[in-house]
Amino acid sequence: MEIRKTGTINVWVTDAVTVTPFGDNLNDLWLALLAGKSAIRPLQRFAVEGYHAGIASWIEDLVKIDNRSMCHFLIEHLLGQLGPMPANTLLITATTKSGIDNLERIRRCAPAAPADVLPGGLLEEVHRQLGLTGECINISAACASSTIALAQGAELIASGYTNSVLVCCMDLVTEFVFSGFSSLLALAAGPCRPFDRDRNGLSLGEGAAALLLMNGELARQESRSHLGTILGWGAANDATHITAPARDGCGLRQAVLKALDIAGRHADEIAAVCAHGTGSVYNDLMELNALNQIFGNRRLPIFSIKGSIGHTLGAAGGIEAAVGLRTLSEQMAPPTVGFSNPEIGAENKVSFQPSTFSGDCLLTTNSGFGGINAALILEKGSLQ
Amino acid sequence: MKAFITGIGGVTATDMGCGRDNKRFELKAGKLPNISRRDAFDTPYPKFRRLDKYSRLGLSAIAFALKDAGLDRWTDPRPIGIIASTVHGCLDTDINYYDTVIPEDGCLASPNMFAYTLSNIYLGEAAIRFGLTGAGYVISESTQSELWCLRMALTGIAGGQFDKALGGRCDLGHCPPYSEPERTAGGALFFVIEQKPSNACTVYGNVVIDSRGELFFNGTGVKDLETLARHCIAAHSKQES
Repeated sequence: MEIRKTGTINVWVTDAVTVTPFGDNLNDLWLALLAGKSAIRPLQRFAVEGYHAGIASWIEDLVKIDNRSMCHFLIEHLLGQLGPMPANTLLITATTKSGIDNLERIRRCAPAAPADVLPGGLLEEVHRQLGLTGECINISAACASSTIALAQGAELIASGYTNSVLVCCMDLVTEFVFSGFSSLLALAAGPCRPFDRDRNGLSLGEGAAALLLMNGELARQESRSHLGTILGWGAANDATHITAPARDGCGLRQAVLKALDIAGRHADEIAAVCAHGTGSVYNDLMELNALNQIFGNRRLPIFSIKGSIGHTLGAAGGIEAAVGLRTLSEQMAPPTVGFSNPEIGAENKVSFQPSTFSGDCLLTTNSGFGGINAALILEKGSLQ
Repeated sequence: MKAFITGIGGVTATDMGCGRDNKRFELKAGKLPNISRRDAFDTPYPKFRRLDKYSRLGLSAIAFALKDAGLDRWTDPRPIGIIASTVHGCLDTDINYYDTVIPEDGCLASPNMFAYTLSNIYLGEAAIRFGLTGAGYVISESTQSELWCLRMALTGIAGGQFDKALGGRCDLGHCPPYSEPERTAGGALFFVIEQKPSNACTVYGNVVIDSRGELFFNGTGVKDLETLARHCIAAHSKQES
């Protein structure tokens, strides 16, 4: 293996599917985003009286099957949408807490499959359901888990190690996670308001996504759909605090600049940004600092979908990459639901309405606990 | 791509310390040592005492590995990546945290403990302590070799993400009823991998990844992390003699 030159990546995304409260397909999610809908509403899954908030974006009919984690429901609904893929496809799952709902049951002395609780506990199930013969790994990097999974999948294809990688990401709204964010005083009492001056916290969400990455040459030979290309990726730690971002955005800036460098592209070539945009005071400020350092006063559309589907944690990067590809295809950025009064630096960039744009490249970013930041540069595909 | 192993650090049931101290680092079942700050850090680190067991284990092994490579002291942040393998991750902390949630319907949930219920958090602690600004993430593998962490580290170097990385594993070991006893032993073991060693004196040998993802140390195939550590320490002993 040799050191690779920049701008030489040819990794196609040939399939992208999602499961969110707006349904089991990306099209329904896209239409809901464009319409400015939000799935954030009162939670009915567990008692919320003891917490600082009582709302989240949750899937109405998500149920536990037998003793298994609710993640298995997500997996079934996700994989059922996928088309055929090479049997030797390498599988990467990405999640922050896997089947943590089963740990809740076990600690409350209810029957539950214990293996679902482990970080890689869902690997075998996805592998078995798809009948794959390749290797499989799980990646955990807090709320950047699936962004880094996509980056590593693309890296493994670009390095020649494999020709196809399936990235499957998922996370649930559970009492475990909800209580934790509540204890950190990180939850907004009302639906989150990304990049709004009056924002006061995040809203949790649940969902899943799967993206099939393929060597571009092979995908072309097999006449696969070309939803888009992953051109570059970067990840960096801001080395500041484990639950708060560096206010100057140094880690995110480093990740984005690395992604641009790997892609061999200039910041001017980025036409839109699908931001992390959680609605928490410090995250959004950090992001605006980093993005404004990189893009200056350019009026490119920056949007967050977390006002619609909440913060889906380890699944956020995968869902947002799928939405990002659709954004490029339609040349339209969805509105940022919950945004109305711009934070300083968000003026003329973030909008509560859909924004048209013209360009081939989109930046999508995620950041998480532990100081991690990750960025992907996506290019518009050739098939609509 | 060829890179160089320049540091080893570990905490296992048999040993704790740097590779150049001729440790054995056997990843076998057994009680892990209680680690104090003074075992792994030369300078005050008040926060160490408050970390969860999983973080103390991983962070100590990383500290030993960086010290072994001569990279533990720093002034400016460095883009060094960390890729760590695990089976159980922070499960022990998850259990302890959720046991604070059950009474009083969540009113007593511990924010300090919740912060450590992500398997990658100790990598963030290492990043803060040692100024490491490269990518850091945790992987779980379907096989028991735990070599993916090194594959990812080498692939990251070849892809231009960073020119130095730590690759290794951290696990508190079998945790009934969540895993089978044979699934994994407790212990942490990390390797420092450099594309261009900053100090030739610290090189154990070269590590190569071929197109099939197979790993070789000084030309010999490597089947797991423990074997790699043994090869490295044998190569060092040979250099010394």
